[in-house]
Amino acid sequence: MKKRKFMALALSCVMVCSLAACGSKDTGASQPAPAPAPAEKTDDSANNDNNADSQTPADTSADASQAADITLWTYPVGSWGDAATVSGMIANFNAVYPDIHVTVEYLDYTNGDDQINTAIEGNQAPDLVLEGPERLVANWGAKGLMVDLGDLWTDEAKSLIYDSVQSACQSNDGVFYEYPLCMTAHTMAINRDIFEAAGALQYLDEETGTWTTENFQKAVQAVYDYGQTNVGAVYCSGQGGDQGTRALVNNLYGGTFTNAEHTQYTADSEENIKALELLKSMDGINFDASIAGGDEVNMFCNGTFAMAFCWNATQEKNNADQGNINFDVLPMAFPTESGTPQLCGGIWGFGIFDNGDPAKIAAAKTFIDFMANDEKQAVESVKASNFWPVKDLGNIYDGDALMSEYAKFIPYMGDYYQVVSGWAEARTAWWNMLQQVGSGTDVKTAVEEFAATANAAASAQ
Amino acid sequence: MAKNNSMSKALVRRETIAGYAFMLPSLIFFLGFVIYPMVQCVFTSFFDATMNREDIFVGFANYIELFQDKVFLGSLKNTVIIVVVSVPVTCIFSLWVSSVIYDLAGPACSAFRCIFYLPVVTGSVAVAVVWKWMFNNYYGIFNYIGTNTGLIEKNINWLGDERFALGCIILILLTTSVGQPIVLYVSALNNVDQSLVEAAEVDGATKFQCFWKIKWSQIMPTTLYILVITTINSFQCFALIQLLTSGGPNHSTDTIMYYIYYNAFKLYRYGYGNAMGVVLAIIIAVLSALQFKMAESK
Amino acid sequence: MYMKQNQFNRSASYKIISVIIIAILAFTFAFPLYWIIIGSFKTSAAINATTPQWWPQEWVLDNYRKLFSRQVAALWEIKIPFTGISFTGPEVPAAIRWLLNTVFMSVAAMLLTCITSAMAGYALAKKRFIGRTVVFSLIVCAMALPKQVILIPLLREMASLELYNTIWAVIFPIVGWPFGVFLMKQFSEGIPGEMMEAAKIDGANEWKTFYTIALPLIKPGIGALAIFTFINSWNDYFMQLIMLTSTKNLTISLGIAKLQAENATDFGLIMAGASLAAIPIIVIFLIFQKYFTKGITMGAVKG
Repeated sequence: MKKRKFMALALSCVMVCSLAACGSKDTGASQPAPAPAPAEKTDDSANNDNNADSQTPADTSADASQAADITLWTYPVGSWGDAATVSGMIANFNAVYPDIHVTVEYLDYTNGDDQINTAIEGNQAPDLVLEGPERLVANWGAKGLMVDLGDLWTDEAKSLIYDSVQSACQSNDGVFYEYPLCMTAHTMAINRDIFEAAGALQYLDEETGTWTTENFQKAVQAVYDYGQTNVGAVYCSGQGGDQGTRALVNNLYGGTFTNAEHTQYTADSEENIKALELLKSMDGINFDASIAGGDEVNMFCNGTFAMAFCWNATQEKNNADQGNINFDVLPMAFPTESGTPQLCGGIWGFGIFDNGDPAKIAAAKTFIDFMANDEKQAVESVKASNFWPVKDLGNIYDGDALMSEYAKFIPYMGDYYQVVSGWAEARTAWWNMLQQVGSGTDVKTAVEEFAATANAAASAQ
Repeated sequence: MAKNNSMSKALVRRETIAGYAFMLPSLIFFLGFVIYPMVQCVFTSFFDATMNREDIFVGFANYIELFQDKVFLGSLKNTVIIVVVSVPVTCIFSLWVSSVIYDLAGPACSAFRCIFYLPVVTGSVAVAVVWKWMFNNYYGIFNYIGTNTGLIEKNINWLGDERFALGCIILILLTTSVGQPIVLYVSALNNVDQSLVEAAEVDGATKFQCFWKIKWSQIMPTTLYILVITTINSFQCFALIQLLTSGGPNHSTDTIMYYIYYNAFKLYRYGYGNAMGVVLAIIIAVLSALQFKMAESK
Repeated sequence: MYMKQNQFNRSASYKIISVIIIAILAFTFAFPLYWIIIGSFKTSAAINATTPQWWPQEWVLDNYRKLFSRQVAALWEIKIPFTGISFTGPEVPAAIRWLLNTVFMSVAAMLLTCITSAMAGYALAKKRFIGRTVVFSLIVCAMALPKQVILIPLLREMASLELYNTIWAVIFPIVGWPFGVFLMKQFSEGIPGEMMEAAKIDGANEWKTFYTIALPLIKPGIGALAIFTFINSWNDYFMQLIMLTSTKNLTISLGIAKLQAENATDFGLIMAGASLAAIPIIVIFLIFQKYFTKGITMGAVKG
């Protein structure tokens, strides 16, 4: 009896083990399905199979029969973080390239970097990743993990894509690690209803979306006095949305984050110190070490804050679509003394991790080429991000009132300094510095420590 | 004599073979996934190792830097604080609760036991997310109760304020670690030899004396066991820190465990992270050895 | 009880006050769980209200709907080795797959741990083999070791074994953790030597002695260890965070943590996820409560 029981236990264990051993052991190479037999249809391609049959003949380019399983990891760049939208676009892709299977994973800005870093160490880095040059070029590219995309950057591409974007997508020695798709200027936003009620609209220029540092102070004070004690937050629990806090600090008194050559961090300049001291002293501006950019956006939308520093067109569109906003959002440039704000740009595009398989790399390049260069798809890809194209695609947002409203900020786009070396470390040091300031450390001390850490990281690379 | 000797040699050989045969499955996992990585950890700690680059031998440089790194020393301090506060508090609290509930009527006792055990089974992630909400600066329940009862003047940013964050973490850790000790103490107290207690009471001993002189010594083995598991538990509070504060604000809730992770995947300093691991391992090994010496001498 | 009247009064009132305090404390201990479950049924307006609703005015399932409509994954994937044939289950909300992964992981870790630890504990307690003390000291020292210490080497090891991003990368370190061996050694000390001798004289070999004599005696201990390992692996988070990346390979804890990272202030959605993670294990706990407490206690009394 006892014996039988034990044997049964052991047997069931062995069975379970073997079952699962087959079940969950899959290497990157076999995702999502080990044998892409023609009969097997993934969800993406199934819907479009008819479509594919009718389209493929028209499109028999040399590599339409390419076959590979590749993985794409996306950061939430507009609707590129939304499974439904992305599967739609992949269906378009599979209509032309039915044998390239793309598995998508969705990252967030809180843990996304950690996730990719562990995957790199786990030998399972994704084939494709959608993000900006600060990660693709300055971080993983600089570490020698990315594929040189020089062959995608044809002369034609170089002539079409804006020069500032082009220079951001290459490393210091001129290797292209990113092929860009879209870009935007990060702005801030205010809750117009509250500002109006508090009589603070007089301090800003609604037409141009600009205001002066002095008026910004007055406006915040007015809103605070009106009873909205949480006017805005210098969020700093992590790196998510840190472009907002950087732009805010840099703009107030015209400071810069790095020098013009992108070789040295200049956050310890007098202008920046003055700006941080100002923010620290203002009523209604919380240095909040318990939230990051994404939280701030949510809390702006639900009315907790009257202004958001982590804002752009896609934030408004997504939140409005989800019915999260029930007030009038007014996008604004960051306040400056000079009247010409330098907005932080965002550039997003694709990079390829070198996983040592030429077939996958080729397939990934095909994917990029399709998403960013195919005449019809490129517009859709950019629209999915809800940002602006990096080359002239015509007026793709014709008749879109929201996008027209935000278009006025594009000329304020400032220097794309995120490609400075030591960026990943500097970013981490930045929010740590804000936490220090928030908890009462002398601004000058904190900022100098930041600059020392960041510059050490920059020179170490 | 000679024959005897060879007999026992044969016996030793047989015992050894049998012993290792029985140990084998366990040893594969233990050596493969605990000891081997630990050896690797010690080895790499002498290198400047980072992502996708040949490791560079640096000797003891990582260790030297470690003891000049303010953040590391801070996280060492936090780790010690967490252990030193939570272990005794957990033990005393659970002993007190158990001493009150162990002789209540059956259902009442098991109901209490069950409730105090709930946070343990709920799981650290679920616990962390709900506490994050309760501690929230703007719509957390603590600030609501605090401001409405006048205990606090205005909203406190519990997890975002250096003065409170570590305390909050320890509080949550406490709620998730008293469950098991209470179960253990209740049964230990029920197993105390009643005749001794009664005899003492006849002699006029007060309840307190009775407890201290008789019960305490009888539940000593349980206490030692609880000390061991609570210490282990306190060193495992990674999830709370990663999910609630990420070591902030201003590194005030960094523990060595979290700082290793931070160094590895935010700063890409593998060798340095490993050096920290070695230091932590040494501390823990010494601590365990001490506890076992204590257990043995009892 | 023979007690003087005033002494009785004092200790009785102490008792009553203590019970009241403990009842209040018990209430606060249960509160987070209550808040998780209640929160998961609240509307987003109620969630974000500065005045908390202790009891929802309106019960909605929106949060669960949102949770289940987020991502999809196949319910299971079973591959027959060396043939390339695989069976893929129907597509379900990813959260269901996570739950299944978690159950699988906990059960596998539990079975493996119990089997390996029972054997090893028996050997450590009853076999006088060379190197026994060394092995035992190693086990004692490694018992309290946090897994963060070996984070990087373990990650690289799993990568080279091609186990990274599989559930096994989480299970194996749990099985390797030597606490179970320690516990089973303490239990096995109690096996009477005479019974083993008797079995030997009857001609039983080592293995037979183990499973006919030792195993039935240490069965309660194995039960305790099984419960302990099950809960521990269900609630483990760190190894999962490091080792698992694909949506379909996540566990429920990790899934909830990701949910929080993506939607930090959508507490309703997060609470729905937390309920999904917590309720199954709590139900298991309530059903087996008696065995839980018995098992835990046994571990300590023998340990």
